[in-house]
Amino acid sequence: MSQVQCLPVAGKNMSKVKKYLEDARDNETRELELIDKNISSLDELPNIFSLPFVTRITLSHNKISVLPPAIANLNNLEILNLSNNHLEELPLSLSSMPKLRILNCSINRLSTLPRGFGAFPVLEVLDLSYNNLNERELPGNFFKLETLRALYLGDNDFEYLPPEIKFMRNLQILGLRDNDLLELPREIGELGRLRELHIQNNRLTVIPPEIANLDLYSNKSVFKMEENPWVQPISEQYLLGISHVLEYIKTEAYRILYNRHVTGGKSAVPIPPRADKSKKASRARS
Amino acid sequence: MPPITQVPTSMSLETMTCTRCDEGFEPQEKIVNSNGQLWHIQCFVCAQCFRTFQDGIFYEFEGRKYCEKDFRVLFAPYCSKCGEIVIGRVIKAMQASWHPECFRCQLCAKELADSGFIRNNNRALCHGCNANIKASEIGKYSCQKCHGIIDGAPLRFRGEVYHGYHFNCTSCGVELDSTAREIKSRTGFAANDMNELYCLKCHDRMGVPICGACRRPIEERVVTALGKHWHVEHFVCAKCEKPFLGHRHYEKRGLAYCETHYHQLFGNLCFVCNQVVSGDVFTALNKAWCVHHFSCDMCNTNLDLKSKFYEYDEKPVCKKCYERMPSELRKRLRVAHENTMRKN
Ligand SMILES: [Zn+2]
Ligand SMILES: [Zn+2]
Ligand SMILES: [Zn+2]
Ligand SMILES: [Zn+2]
Ligand SMILES: [Zn+2]
Ligand SMILES: [Zn+2]
Ligand SMILES: [Zn+2]
Ligand SMILES: [Zn+2]
Repeated sequence: MSQVQCLPVAGKNMSKVKKYLEDARDNETRELELIDKNISSLDELPNIFSLPFVTRITLSHNKISVLPPAIANLNNLEILNLSNNHLEELPLSLSSMPKLRILNCSINRLSTLPRGFGAFPVLEVLDLSYNNLNERELPGNFFKLETLRALYLGDNDFEYLPPEIKFMRNLQILGLRDNDLLELPREIGELGRLRELHIQNNRLTVIPPEIANLDLYSNKSVFKMEENPWVQPISEQYLLGISHVLEYIKTEAYRILYNRHVTGGKSAVPIPPRADKSKKASRARS
Repeated sequence: MPPITQVPTSMSLETMTCTRCDEGFEPQEKIVNSNGQLWHIQCFVCAQCFRTFQDGIFYEFEGRKYCEKDFRVLFAPYCSKCGEIVIGRVIKAMQASWHPECFRCQLCAKELADSGFIRNNNRALCHGCNANIKASEIGKYSCQKCHGIIDGAPLRFRGEVYHGYHFNCTSCGVELDSTAREIKSRTGFAANDMNELYCLKCHDRMGVPICGACRRPIEERVVTALGKHWHVEHFVCAKCEKPFLGHRHYEKRGLAYCETHYHQLFGNLCFVCNQVVSGDVFTALNKAWCVHHFSCDMCNTNLDLKSKFYEYDEKPVCKKCYERMPSELRKRLRVAHENTMRKN
């Protein structure tokens, strides 16, 4: 009885959710939706981990801070949406889920990822945007996610992108907007399938000439690069259009400028300050 | 030719003089007679060293006689290849002397004595090798038959290159060009000297599958696709030109594409299910979607052309979900959106 007492409002809500889960089990529902249900802990809903038929779970807009490792019992789960919750960490078991293709953890409070996180066998889309991640917190095997076609890391705290990004050979979309990036690795140019690159709102002054190898200017491509302290020739070309930037960085003149920039000229240019992120919801502490 | 040392009885001493010193001979004096010319013994000597000839052997050059040693030093050629003296036919070439069998093309070692040679970079070459070098210097082939430069594609036959017009089709007799096909007339023979040439028409009638890309016969594995035959390595993506090598390909308007480029060009892989969209394709935010998969990225609410949605990282978010986002984020998204609108 004491448990019920401390959750008078949520408790009523919870019983509805429990009923929903019971029906889902009886009907062998494949797609679970528990959106904006004020759920703060999945431990109160143990049933959720014994629904072997379920292929998609949507838990957006709740207050979940811990994802129990039992989530990995859902062998048929393909899509897990935990967007806009209070997650501070993820269980290692997640990366062993055999059919998980899409994982959305955007708008949470992650500042670290479990070791071995890069082991997902078939993950295609990983959304980690709007968290507190940086390159030092990525697990060693993160870039082994070879099956990934979309990686969203926007709105985090990256200053550098590790060159190992080149191992994500199937990447078509790379979101890096609103970070603290100071430079990009040349290896980005090896991502032959990339057709969306979001690098707006960073601290970039130059981009690797290798980016011109990519197919970033077609009707199926997106290249967002605004709001960076670009060197003057780039910002001039940017005013004329993305295609002008992509042509310009192919030139010998740019190659020389870029090489000079990456081999030490940096100290001459003051490093712009990081963006103030104190107001980000991901910084809130429970 | 040893000289004779006896005064011929038919001649009188008074009228006889030495070929060398013009003096007469004493009676009983030994006289050298060579081909009707007479000498004092002491005058019949090497024109160079003035010594008598050992064993009477001398060598004659332009009317003068030399001992073997001086003749060799002065006139006799040594072969520049083997270092032996050349007696008989001497090949004078490249500022040196050669035995005929020692003077050979420096590239293919063919004897040059009778066929003539061409000086190329201080090397003696046969006409064929010289033509090859000159042709390759300008990026072309030279015809193995006439040594002329081949403009355009060469005809390849039995491992060599030729002008097509030197050959006729084995079957119909028409004059050939570079499109002619070389056929192993006896399959199983390793040597190609049994091969024969056919014009394209006769060749096609013979039933060997022809590659749709290179138009050459396919003698190994045949890929059949798009209503044509292909060499395995010539069946390639129309965009990136990488061979499929057994991987899945996608066909569109008579061309084949790899998955990536099919998607890139025709945009028909759904962003959510990553399958080729069958039925209506929904195109938005530079991506393609199955109609039933175009939905809010946060709550799965299905969206259609009339729905108002917000763009978050080039993905659609419904109005309700947008309003549930942190206000701080919404504010930044709004500013970014206004900036792009201003720029466009
Ligand atoms: Zn002599
Ligand atoms: Zn010799
Ligand atoms: Zn030769
Ligand atoms: Zn010829
Ligand atoms: Zn071929
Ligand atoms: Zn391709
Ligand atoms: Zn789909
Ligand atoms: Zn929504």
